[in-house]
Amino acid sequence: MKKFIEESWLVLVLGVVFAMLLAGTQTAMLPQIRANQQQELLAAIVEVVPEMDAEQAPEEMDPQELGVDLGQLSLKDVKIYRCPGNGNTPAGWAVAATGTGFIDTIRLVVGLSATGDRIRGIKAVAHTETPGLGNKIDTKDEENFYPLQYAGKETSRPLQLVKGTAGEASQIQAITGATYSSQYVMDIVNEIITNIVPKLPAQ
Amino acid sequence: MAKELTNFEQFKSGILDNNPVLVQLLGMCPTLAITNSLENALVMGAAATFVVVMSNLITSLLRNLIKPHVRILIFTLTIATFVTIADLTLKAHMYEVSKQLGAFIPLIIVNCIIICRAEVVAIKSGVGKSLADAFGIGIGFTLALSILGVIRELLGSGSLTLPGGAKLLTLPAAFEPHAWIIMILPPGAFLTLGVVVGVVNWLRERGKAGA
Amino acid sequence: MDGVTLGGITGILLGVVLVNNLVFQGFLGICPFLGVSRKVDTAFGMGCAVTFVITMAGAITWAIMHLILHPLGESLFGDKLALNFLQYVAFIMVIASMVQLVEMYLKRFFPPLYSSLGVFLPLITTNCAILGACLYIYMKPETQPFINALVYAFGGGVGFMLAIVIMAGIREHLRFSNVPKPLQGAGITLLVAGILALAFTGFTGIGK
Repeated sequence: MKKFIEESWLVLVLGVVFAMLLAGTQTAMLPQIRANQQQELLAAIVEVVPEMDAEQAPEEMDPQELGVDLGQLSLKDVKIYRCPGNGNTPAGWAVAATGTGFIDTIRLVVGLSATGDRIRGIKAVAHTETPGLGNKIDTKDEENFYPLQYAGKETSRPLQLVKGTAGEASQIQAITGATYSSQYVMDIVNEIITNIVPKLPAQ
Repeated sequence: MAKELTNFEQFKSGILDNNPVLVQLLGMCPTLAITNSLENALVMGAAATFVVVMSNLITSLLRNLIKPHVRILIFTLTIATFVTIADLTLKAHMYEVSKQLGAFIPLIIVNCIIICRAEVVAIKSGVGKSLADAFGIGIGFTLALSILGVIRELLGSGSLTLPGGAKLLTLPAAFEPHAWIIMILPPGAFLTLGVVVGVVNWLRERGKAGA
Repeated sequence: MDGVTLGGITGILLGVVLVNNLVFQGFLGICPFLGVSRKVDTAFGMGCAVTFVITMAGAITWAIMHLILHPLGESLFGDKLALNFLQYVAFIMVIASMVQLVEMYLKRFFPPLYSSLGVFLPLITTNCAILGACLYIYMKPETQPFINALVYAFGGGVGFMLAIVIMAGIREHLRFSNVPKPLQGAGITLLVAGILALAFTGFTGIGK
């Protein structure tokens, strides 16, 4: 026993000192980290639900209470937010979900109108699609037409991907050279509008 | 070692003659993974420098207390602690960059450069020399990352970005970065590093022949 | 359990072995990939050892986060993430002690296997593929169920083995080629790895 203490006291002391140091650092940093994450989410939601009052916090809904069966979906980490507008008028809904992408997963935020009948906008908040092609699903670059097409689409029937110019109201034009990324993003949107949107209560 | 190096020589050796990446070929994973832009390279270099400085400092201060067979455990514990601090700080104050670097900040823990400095220098040298060594190695690491970052970002994106998002320079529109997109993809990392290591070897051979 | 389907598991396995190969896409485990890829036999031995440790470490670190740190943080501080500052320290300690245990176990019960893997085992602690895979398992939404995490960890090891064995096969032939002097060793290996990585980008998109 004595030998054990002699050999390892330094490790134990260091362990305790370091643990306290880390606990202190985390206590100091965690509020800021949470604020950053909240800020990022809010920025994405305001982008897809433009009427959202950025001063207020979006209200997170429990998918199970809404009757959404998450086990049935291929989407992961599904979050549903009710977005308050100016005054007390409802601005709409935002659904964040992670789905399969061409290279890895894509996390998408989809904005919906207050009655859930139309898509207001989409934003890919995290993805690793091919730079120069697949990353045109991103709204960071204003030249990217692809995400902008979703605004105003009806949610009553699934969207279709077309190569070349989209004619019908439910069609989405694919990104040339990156049809797969276009397809994967649309699959996520379709899964949301067929499985989650009908469950949203009226606001 | 033929003669004891002075603190300054120790500092300088880490940057050039014993550059951890380009000469010793250590710490390859972050070198390849996060050098798709200069900004990432600089932030990564700064985080690793902080960790190697703190790890060398603590190891050197405790060098007479550390029992030989628990030393690796203590090194790892120290490094993991300071990496966590660096990670939390980046997440709080440089959120965007920390998202880009992702798992490669925690992966500094298993960066062989840092544990190697503790084992080779800090465990048997005074505080001054250990710190000089740590700063040298840290700057050498940052330098190597930046060289790759500049080459890959310039060719792959056609511009250079400093930490904070300021554009340092943008290539004229005649240069078409889309044709070089491969440079910011994984294969570009391997190819660029291969060529840079080759050039460094060639320069060293020439230096030796000239001397 | 939520989110565990055969299709999902196959997707994760194919994804981590081919599409998001830890070496070629994730840049993990580059040091042993460059250092221990001179001969196919040793590369295969290293690959086996890594696959074994990565699977065990993946399972244990999953348990540490989901069964110890999260519940403990929840009950002590009312915040699931309150003890997350111990994550990195805990992970590296688990990996280091795992490697020690595996070494002792093999030495005691499987001496032939030990003598063939022996030299690589201590090196595995600082193989960032292992810590990297454990961190990704914690970060990725699809690897939250235990089975998926286990499959991801195993697939990560297999992907590493695939990469290092292919590389070793090429390097055995490279010995007979006339490589410019400054590029010999690491330089040419990196260039070959770049071309292999280019080939592996062809696998993107098969995960679904």
